[in-house]
Amino acid sequence: MALMEIENITKVYESDGVETHALCGVSFAIDKGEFVAIMGPSGSGKSTLLHVLGFLDRHTDGVYRFENKTMDEYSSDEIALVRNEKMGFIFQAFNLLARVSVYENVTLPLLYSRISKKEWHNRVEHAIDAVGLSHRSQFHTSKLSGGEKQRVAIARALVLDPEVIFADEPTGNLDSVSGKAVMTILDEVNRKQGTTIILITHETVTAAFAHRVITMKDGHVEHDRRVGKDGEKREYKK
Amino acid sequence: MKLRYAIIQAVHGLKSNRSRSALTILGIVIGITAIMMVMAIGAGAQELILSQIQGWGSRTISIEPGREPQGPSDFAEMYTDSLTEKDIRALSKLANVQDLKDMTPVVTVAASVNYKNESVRTTVWGSSDLLTDILDIRPAEGAMFTDEDVRQRASVAVLGAEIKNKLFNGQNAIGEKIKVKNQSLRVIGVMGKKGRVSLVNVDDIIFIPYTTAQEYLLGINYYHSIIAQAVTDESVERVARDVELTLRETHGIADPSKDDFHVTTQADAIERVGVITGVLTLLLGAVAAISLVVGGIGIMNIMLVAVAERTREIGLRKAVGARDRDILIQFLCEAVMLTGIGGIVGIAFGAFLSWSASFLLSRFATMQWAFVFPIDAALLGLGVSALIGLVFGLYPAKKAAGKSPIEALRYE
Repeated sequence: MALMEIENITKVYESDGVETHALCGVSFAIDKGEFVAIMGPSGSGKSTLLHVLGFLDRHTDGVYRFENKTMDEYSSDEIALVRNEKMGFIFQAFNLLARVSVYENVTLPLLYSRISKKEWHNRVEHAIDAVGLSHRSQFHTSKLSGGEKQRVAIARALVLDPEVIFADEPTGNLDSVSGKAVMTILDEVNRKQGTTIILITHETVTAAFAHRVITMKDGHVEHDRRVGKDGEKREYKK
Repeated sequence: MKLRYAIIQAVHGLKSNRSRSALTILGIVIGITAIMMVMAIGAGAQELILSQIQGWGSRTISIEPGREPQGPSDFAEMYTDSLTEKDIRALSKLANVQDLKDMTPVVTVAASVNYKNESVRTTVWGSSDLLTDILDIRPAEGAMFTDEDVRQRASVAVLGAEIKNKLFNGQNAIGEKIKVKNQSLRVIGVMGKKGRVSLVNVDDIIFIPYTTAQEYLLGINYYHSIIAQAVTDESVERVARDVELTLRETHGIADPSKDDFHVTTQADAIERVGVITGVLTLLLGAVAAISLVVGGIGIMNIMLVAVAERTREIGLRKAVGARDRDILIQFLCEAVMLTGIGGIVGIAFGAFLSWSASFLLSRFATMQWAFVFPIDAALLGLGVSALIGLVFGLYPAKKAAGKSPIEALRYE
């Protein structure tokens, strides 16, 4: 059973009377536990696609089913709840709260959750531990390196054990070593917890962690292929 | 999200921009301070005036010429010549007014008083010898003029304690001649120190027979007022009514609205003071309220800036699961907290300033000015400031809540 399924999704932006077709009829399904990389040149519609899938934006036409329910069937409070409990987000620019600690940043999704406060501490500690930042727990995020910041963002995405993590160019602002560390964590989460991961990247090194690569061009899916096991991955990387 | 977390988030929001938060609440602080001061000083003034009026004694009734003033234009009529000797004779008759203990006509003259090279500006009161009973003052040296002096238009004077000191510098005054408006008066007594009675500094007055004042100082044959005293507290109302009826009869007035005099009891005076200070307090309070509205607009302005600045943060919060109303409540909390803090600071400031004012007034102006902490004003101020936060915070908070997460995250 597919976790999410889109049929003929279109997205049209309109500004000053000029229409821009960001997505022109995209269809595919993603199963639970998949690790999908979405690639493509800028303006190909990959970010828009991720935002639609992540309930951050609404598509113009077509059908999007998340857990067998179309997006229209979710009320705005339910959408907030899905974002809170089933989805985690990682952004290229980290988007952490400034002037507060790592611990408080990771706590943020819990504020809006139905989890009782007694469990908060364990969950936060566990998530911070999973990204290897226990020693930085009380640091202000402004004092961290880029790689560490992105690991805080991952911890924040993990704290409510989501079904799926959306990562929008998570390594885009990082050096190769930090980038690899971030990807290794995501890979582990995918393998150990079966969390679905959908990531946007234009680095083949990063995409090599995925089992499936969807390539976008001009609002269409150009290729959608599985890249199999480790051996093939290396080959794909070249 | 629980309200408690919203409040914690709001505190974080405010703390992250301390100086701006402080400047923002300044408008509210000033507004609430102003309201507190107006109400505290208004209450203090009322207490003061009431205590002074009560200094007259609750049995005192004053009769003044002219209609009871209904508005500013009526004050011109206050100094008419409607009260004369005929009235005194009528009021003295037991058949007309029972329970009247003492009564004296009063004429007042503002004039310079000269003794040798000394000259002092003061008020000369012309009255009968009974004034000492009504005011409850006694000469410390010499004696009060007598009924006979009044009939004879005797050129005699009794000095208030302060006047005596100013003119005679501690020398003997009894038997000396002073000059008022070229009229020579012989000092026959000096009053003991009394202080203020009903806003009038009795120590700063020269007392002479009213006949003398009418004839030699003013050249008039009417009185400026008549001061009467009822036998008991209970009889005050009846005496006042009897006085009115008698005067109407003597003046040939059938319609009470055409009265050319008015009778004021202490109860009337207290009521009038209450009305006047109440209106003044309301008026000044309204002026202060304007500054609160201005402060509220300032809050709204800054909140709008904050919402724009924190667009990314709002987007992020939505992305991790905040509902529209979570964001709304967070920003409303920030606004209410800003104005609430402003209110508390304003109340403290206002209380401190009005306490200082009362302290200075009683210390240096020798007024019996009591500091009254207006608890009702404090509660009102707190309520109003919180309300301002709600009203002026609503629009920015709604703007924040309505942001689409992706628009917000994209915002640079």
